Amino acid sequence: MERLNVITKLETILAEVLEHKNFVITDELTAKDVDGWDSLSHMMIITHIEKSFDIKFKLRDLNKLNNVGALISVIQSKL
Amino acid sequence: MFLISDLQKSIKKNSINNAFCINEEFYTYSHLSQVVSNIRVILKSEVNKTDYNIGLVTNDDLETYASIIALWLEGKAYVPLNPEFPESRNYSIVEQANINFILDSSSTTVTLLKSQKIIKTRGLPNTGIDLVPVDIPKESIAYILFTSGTTGVPKGVPITFENLASFFEAFSVLCPDVHYKDKCLQMFELTFDMSVFSYLLPLLNGACVYTIPKSKIKYSYIFELMEDHKLTIAIMVPSIINYLRPYFEEIHCPDLKFNLFAGEALYLDVLQEWSQCIPNATIINAYGPTETTIICTSYNFNRNEENKTHNGIMSIGKDMKDTISIVVGDDDNELEIGITGELCIAGKQVTPGYWENHEKNAASFFYKNYKGENLRFYRTGDACYKDESGDFLYVGRVDFQAKIQGFRVELSEIEFHVKAFLNKVNAVSLAVNNGLNNTEIALVIESKEIDTLPLLDYLKTKMPQYMMPTQIKFIEHFPLNTNGKIDRNELIKLFKTH
Repeated sequence: MERLNVITKLETILAEVLEHKNFVITDELTAKDVDGWDSLSHMMIITHIEKSFDIKFKLRDLNKLNNVGALISVIQSKL
Repeated sequence: MFLISDLQKSIKKNSINNAFCINEEFYTYSHLSQVVSNIRVILKSEVNKTDYNIGLVTNDDLETYASIIALWLEGKAYVPLNPEFPESRNYSIVEQANINFILDSSSTTVTLLKSQKIIKTRGLPNTGIDLVPVDIPKESIAYILFTSGTTGVPKGVPITFENLASFFEAFSVLCPDVHYKDKCLQMFELTFDMSVFSYLLPLLNGACVYTIPKSKIKYSYIFELMEDHKLTIAIMVPSIINYLRPYFEEIHCPDLKFNLFAGEALYLDVLQEWSQCIPNATIINAYGPTETTIICTSYNFNRNEENKTHNGIMSIGKDMKDTISIVVGDDDNELEIGITGELCIAGKQVTPGYWENHEKNAASFFYKNYKGENLRFYRTGDACYKDESGDFLYVGRVDFQAKIQGFRVELSEIEFHVKAFLNKVNAVSLAVNNGLNNTEIALVIESKEIDTLPLLDYLKTKMPQYMMPTQIKFIEHFPLNTNGKIDRNELIKLFKTH
């Protein structure tokens, strides 16, 4: 899948879980920068991503997700 | 106080060993003793001799842990203040505990409080090593933890050095051979008493403490620590393995030799699956309120035999050593075997009482003649019963015993049946006010919305009508409180009537 498509899909998922669109997806974006992205919504985001991309994260993947850039790379590596 | 002199000896003896691994960085006992000594100097010069309760900003760094030891060597108590907690809560704690001085390792100044003196503990000049404790009376307080009070005002639980020493003496029987090669998990926020046990057990034995950086996701980070650093001892809350459950087949940690659970109900089914991930570990389910110093009863999980459970919840076992636990009825008399009542605990681990809170103390502690001795018992608020062989079975909170149309209902029993039907899906049942001041049973299921008719049909075959949930909600992930337990108060808000 094109990186751009991944980003679009990710945007939709984030907006859905967080119930707002006050963020701009960049590689450097971290959970801290986004309102409502706490440890609980993080798990929901992970679950939504798994479902929507039909992928499964390994436990080890979860610790690598330090920013959105890393998240996109991990998703792409599984597609 | 021998606990503190033991700590002093251990730090000295293990100087070349690692004391901490914090955010992938190792610190030796020698490094620790330097930082402790540096902080001691500033405590001596800045803090009034008559000030015993000292605030401590709970960061995840060496200075914060060293501050605890420095305070103890000076015979003072620490009162943890979580910088992420609401300021009003921390303020209430500082006020109640009469705190005038706060130790803080933060590099930026936290706008914590105005009238208290903040003592910075980071980057202090090196001084000579001084780990010799002052003379500490055994009734001196080691720490005061504030737990949520039902009225919204947190209440302080002081634990004395004697309480703590009794705890460690009792615990040493459960896990006798901790040594300098051991690597121990410390997953708890310092405002939770399981943390005391998690850092002090390794430090007393020259082992290494592995902490969780605050920015990391706890359960996945714990797994990496266990696997990459080959942790040998792990003290956890059960919700960790509930989170890890979807990933159990990725986990294989043969190095773990000791795994203790406490803090909330531990379910046998998930534990049995988890035990395969840690094939060589002794697994213990333990129990204890903050008021009785960390844990006071324990039950060994049997890998090959039947384990005692009630509604799927593991037994909490027997008293460890210096506590006396009994199950009492409404008249405070001990109940017979098999009868559920409130668990009450006496003995050397019991706190001298809530900090300056006479009303609460009168309600929570009582004297009772037990086997010829006049003992002071703490009412735990936990509903339990004792079986023929003296093991306690946890039933639920006394306040989770809802009265529905006059019937007593154990919320955990409803949860048990729901989980049995839904298979590996977590559920919490709550007693909610239906707006007409009647109590009803509500159910929150941790999943996407599903058709609940088959579930309700199943429940009807297992429970009387008055126990049936009348309201059901779905939530993808249960909210946790700062102690890592399922936050029932947050869940109840889902049902708030307007």
